[in-house]
Amino acid sequence: MNTLVAVIIGALTVYLAYTLYARRIDRNVIQSDPKRATPATLYMDGVDFMPTNRNILFGYHFKSIAAAGPIVGAIVAATLWGWLPAIVWLVLGVSFIGWASDYSAIVISVRNEGNSLSAVAHRLVSPRTRTVLFIFIFFYLLLVAGAFVGIMAGVLSAQPRTQFGIIVLVAMGLLLGQMLYRWRTGLVGATILTVGITLVAILAGPWTEEIFKGLNAALNGITGNAPIVTYFDPTLANFKGAEAKIMPSLLFWALAICAFCYAGSVLPIWRMAQPVVYVGFWITAMAMVLGLGGAALASFVKPEVAQFQIPAFKGWNPQMGPAGIMPLWPMLFVTIACGAISGWHALFGAVGTARQIENEADMLPVGGGSMFTEFLLGLLALLAVSVGAKGAPVGAFASGLGGFISVWGVPLQYAVSLAFAAFIVIVLVVTQLIFRVMRVTLTEWLGEVIPPFRNQHVASFISVILALLLVMTGTWIYLWQLFGGANQLMAALSLLLVTVWLASVGKNWLYAGLPTIFMYITTVASILVTAYNLYFNVYQPNLAAGRTLPVIGSGLMVLVALLLVVAAAFIGIDGWRAFMRYLRRPAAAPKAAPARG
Amino acid sequence: MAAEEKPKKSGFMGVFKDILYGMSSHEMTRYAVRSRASMEHLFILITMGDLLGIPILPPYYSLRLLPYVTPQISSWKRRMLRERDITDVLG
Repeated sequence: MNTLVAVIIGALTVYLAYTLYARRIDRNVIQSDPKRATPATLYMDGVDFMPTNRNILFGYHFKSIAAAGPIVGAIVAATLWGWLPAIVWLVLGVSFIGWASDYSAIVISVRNEGNSLSAVAHRLVSPRTRTVLFIFIFFYLLLVAGAFVGIMAGVLSAQPRTQFGIIVLVAMGLLLGQMLYRWRTGLVGATILTVGITLVAILAGPWTEEIFKGLNAALNGITGNAPIVTYFDPTLANFKGAEAKIMPSLLFWALAICAFCYAGSVLPIWRMAQPVVYVGFWITAMAMVLGLGGAALASFVKPEVAQFQIPAFKGWNPQMGPAGIMPLWPMLFVTIACGAISGWHALFGAVGTARQIENEADMLPVGGGSMFTEFLLGLLALLAVSVGAKGAPVGAFASGLGGFISVWGVPLQYAVSLAFAAFIVIVLVVTQLIFRVMRVTLTEWLGEVIPPFRNQHVASFISVILALLLVMTGTWIYLWQLFGGANQLMAALSLLLVTVWLASVGKNWLYAGLPTIFMYITTVASILVTAYNLYFNVYQPNLAAGRTLPVIGSGLMVLVALLLVVAAAFIGIDGWRAFMRYLRRPAAAPKAAPARG
Repeated sequence: MAAEEKPKKSGFMGVFKDILYGMSSHEMTRYAVRSRASMEHLFILITMGDLLGIPILPPYYSLRLLPYVTPQISSWKRRMLRERDITDVLG
């Protein structure tokens, strides 16, 4: 297998699924009507409701849904089960479930006056569903924040070549905010300056490696090279499990990331969060475009970086830790989330994108088209890790992506530096935004009952501490899969809502109903498997060894897992009742569509 | 009178520019627009609160300011009274 064949499979998937299936559903089931007024045109306020060109909206939606998910998921899945199951799930997932979820979330909002999914759930299903959904969202954000902080701290600590570039990125983000909003500098000039300096700093990574190695050594010297926390990690020693150590350098970088996210959460958004995201966008876009092009050309130009190195299939149930199980079903389907299907997309699409849809004919190219593009991003990550094959999963990804970038003539060591930086940047910018949303969610959720939560510092601090506690379990793969389970469960719930809505308006609900059943059962099963693994592989060994922090962290994760299952059960029961209620009801006469002005 | 203007069809570069703008800057533009709208809506709330049953300013001053805020009153009322929830933060 080589990358060219995989790229052709990807392109064919997008073409066939879009033209043969997605368009048919859009035409025959949803019956999108360019003459029907959308909420953006009906309620245009120039702020939230604003008709926007479909190309702009495609870029906006894609950028908002494309984060670290498609990359990390593909890396982990290829490492655990091999590249074949990963590519099969990516192709089937996006073709039959992923695009349908993203597209339908936009449709349901457009056809319900631009309301969010939770507001539609409140009206169509039950008031309780909305409350449960809010609780669900907070824990979902907590899990993804924990997973991302853990991954980034590990990479930054182990790869000193990446540290200088990331520090400069943050500095350039702050400078850009100052230039744009205070000094009123032009956008183009400010972009060239800040992105240029960041790029140079990233490429200079190999030269600064020794300096940061010295910093790490000095940090570790504080405790005489003794670890701060020791814990049992079932993912080490080729998944047989071994003692892992949290050294002062790793804690330092984890705290640095948390401090950055804390600042991003409490400072005005223009000061830090937004400009850092903007600078980061150009860096990651550059790496991804060069990488995808390189993957397609590598077979002709540099065949040695185009051959897959990892096995196609590693087994149905790879052993992970002494008591761990990792069955392909259901775990693969939550490990790879965003490239195949993701609940985040639906959540965002309903409130962010749907209110800017100018014309119903734009719903498919924007919602479905963005999802298919995200699939290509997931495929790129899978290709990179499949040809990389050296070191830890993230290292293999960076080495593979660096190989693709080197096809364009960039020396390999600089290309690998750019790949590492792109990975960290894409995770970092998402994490800071997640902490910001967590802070707001916590304030909205508990602020009325417990007044201190209204203080942004209190809410941000608690969010950061909870995420750090999860990181201290040390087993980020479980944390990732628990997040994946929550994310996919969110997707199942949004599909459930779409099914109920389709039944309520008398349309054929099968295209959303069948994926709902599959995703619901799969994700609940995966969360239970993860809880089992956490309990027997992390909680018990660390409890036996008397290690407090990993015990609290893994115990908390098991509790969150059980809470997610209970929340899903409530929403599932309410959804089923509502669905049956609408099915039994005689079909109402179709309402006339409001005409465009 | 000239024939009705047809929307200009953008070529490949136009589409590329739009997508790039959507990815890189549309969010910032939306944020700037929202910030301005929040300020304006706060101003209208203070001056025209009577319209929502919140009398803050004596009616004399409200009436003097009315001509300046009239164009925005309908979208202001809709935004102020629209039901919101946590997920709205994401958009």
